[in-house]
Amino acid sequence: MATYTERQAGSRLADFIGEHAQVLSIALFFVLCMLFFGAMTTTFLTSGNLLNVVRQAAPILIVAVAMTLVITTAGIDLSVGSMVALINALAAIVMASGLDWTLTLPLMLVAGALIGGIQGWFIAYQGIPAFIVTLAGLSILRGFALYLTEGYSIPIRDAAGFFWLGRGEVLGFPVPALIAILVAVLGFVVMLRTQYGRQVIAVGSNMEAARRVGMPAKRVLASVYVVSGVASAVAGMLIAARLGSGSSNAAQGFELQVIAAVVLGGTSLMGGKASMLGTVLGTMTIAVIGNGLILMHISPFFTQIVTGTIILVAIWMNTRLFDRQWRFGRRKSA
Amino acid sequence: MRTAPSAPEEERGASPLSAAPILTLRNIHKTFGSHQALRGVDLDIRPGECLGLIGDNAAGKSTLSKVISGTYIPDEGEITMAGRPVRFATPSEARALNIEMVYQDLALCDHVDVVGNLFLGRELKRGPFLDQKRMLAEAERMLAALEIRIPRLTAKVEKLSGGQRQAIAIARAASFEPKVLLMDEPTSALAVAEVEAVLGLINRVKARGVAVVLVTHRMQDLFRVCDRVAVMYEGTKVAERAIADTNLQELVDLIVGKGGH
Ligand SMILES: Nc1ncnc2c1ncn2[C@@H]1O[C@H](COP(=O)(O)OP(=O)(O)OP(=O)(O)O)[C@@H](O)[C@H]1O
Ligand SMILES: [Mg+2]
Repeated sequence: MATYTERQAGSRLADFIGEHAQVLSIALFFVLCMLFFGAMTTTFLTSGNLLNVVRQAAPILIVAVAMTLVITTAGIDLSVGSMVALINALAAIVMASGLDWTLTLPLMLVAGALIGGIQGWFIAYQGIPAFIVTLAGLSILRGFALYLTEGYSIPIRDAAGFFWLGRGEVLGFPVPALIAILVAVLGFVVMLRTQYGRQVIAVGSNMEAARRVGMPAKRVLASVYVVSGVASAVAGMLIAARLGSGSSNAAQGFELQVIAAVVLGGTSLMGGKASMLGTVLGTMTIAVIGNGLILMHISPFFTQIVTGTIILVAIWMNTRLFDRQWRFGRRKSA
Repeated sequence: MRTAPSAPEEERGASPLSAAPILTLRNIHKTFGSHQALRGVDLDIRPGECLGLIGDNAAGKSTLSKVISGTYIPDEGEITMAGRPVRFATPSEARALNIEMVYQDLALCDHVDVVGNLFLGRELKRGPFLDQKRMLAEAERMLAALEIRIPRLTAKVEKLSGGQRQAIAIARAASFEPKVLLMDEPTSALAVAEVEAVLGLINRVKARGVAVVLVTHRMQDLFRVCDRVAVMYEGTKVAERAIADTNLQELVDLIVGKGGH
């Protein structure tokens, strides 16, 4: 006689670990990096140094949060570094010509949104691959920055309020880091709790399905580039405020750091799968590695090699070791 | 034998007397590149009635249902809804008029959970935020009403079986008070009990006055739920029969093209 039994529900823990494998592994990796550099140097774990790390990581984190949206739609924005440089230079030029910083700030945000919107229009409404559009953007925007500044660094004078954004502290905590944390929390909430976040995930997961259920799929796709434009503008101004000048040579290789941070955090380049928490951890990991290697007096040329290698190994570990079905007890996977 | 529209509409027991069509399609053409997917199709869809849409593979059944749901814009032809001409530029416009569709490819987002897929495109909100608690409760109610059992509604859809995915697509289309419900092979991946549940669902929504269009290759189902059957062949509608006036053999002959000789 045939006997029928129901499947037993497996452990909740297995489901949890299975769904958050990527974030858990990058968190583990982050902790290992902290311990390693803490053990190898005497200065790494001092509060002064850690605050310095978060201050320097702030612009990357802000843009990485926006890049998480972009990559979730299965897109990419290679132009963020050039955009940071252009806004950085433009802000200095505008302020040098006499515009108050309180007006410069919103103006630059609008400029970032506008440039991002143009790229988004080409991508969403004209169907040109994001890689191509933003690669062109990378070249064009950096070119504009160079053209406007003629390669010189432009000093910013008499804007104490502006400098405070880049150098100031609130209760001993750097202002740019606070802004970055604010942006990260905002990104987290938007992604997980709002309709817009749901639309971004849906468009990245199955654009045609999103369209069929009535979502404004193209508008959503274009909008993520506006978001990354605005985020780049914020980052550009924070860098200008910290250095007290604007330069077309700012943020070299910035886009690669940002993309590495996002991918390290477990957001899939294929779209649909996002992790804001992973992005934060990915950014901090890269920042910690950069800082730790300098404190260990390893040649700065070597730092780039090590950073790249660690990213490769970490992502490799992510896919090979952690991204598999987790089994506990006798649960059968479907 | 040409398609003489069968004399006064014959009714199946369960369905009310046939009302005026809620949707009429006239002379619908759709061409993809050089391929004429639809070559002048006329169709009436009536409330409280289930219309079976059958035909060979690539006959144009999915294309026709997608024209009705606004997914494809026809190159030529008119659609009127309740007497008024309509033109759907996007699926959301059709959805706004309560035309819902179960797509052959299901149109689910794999990376979104079951609840999210059920409410895709019409998320419930509380203030600026998604109201996840209410959506979960509603989703449980929706699935229970259709006797669909899915253990964990917060699981990503990619983790589900083919039949479970199909069940979700059906629940999504059927649960938001449709006036026209288009189902493109909704039972192709379903097991015996689940097929019964879908047929039961069709009969229930029909009784509520919903117009149902059922695309299927399962001929035995037609005789259980449909009131009329339209047969498509190479992008045209070659025949239309009241279900009481036809039989399995005739329909099979019509599909393969023997009906014309
Ligand atoms: N998006 C498209 N682009 C190009 N050709 C298409 C497209 N959609 C459908 N076709 C073509 O139109 C014809 C009709 O396709 P359709 O999907 O409507 O057939 P069907 O009757 O639903 O078949 P099946 O029973 O296999 O689902 C086919 O020859 C198909 O190749
Ligand atoms: Mg089809």
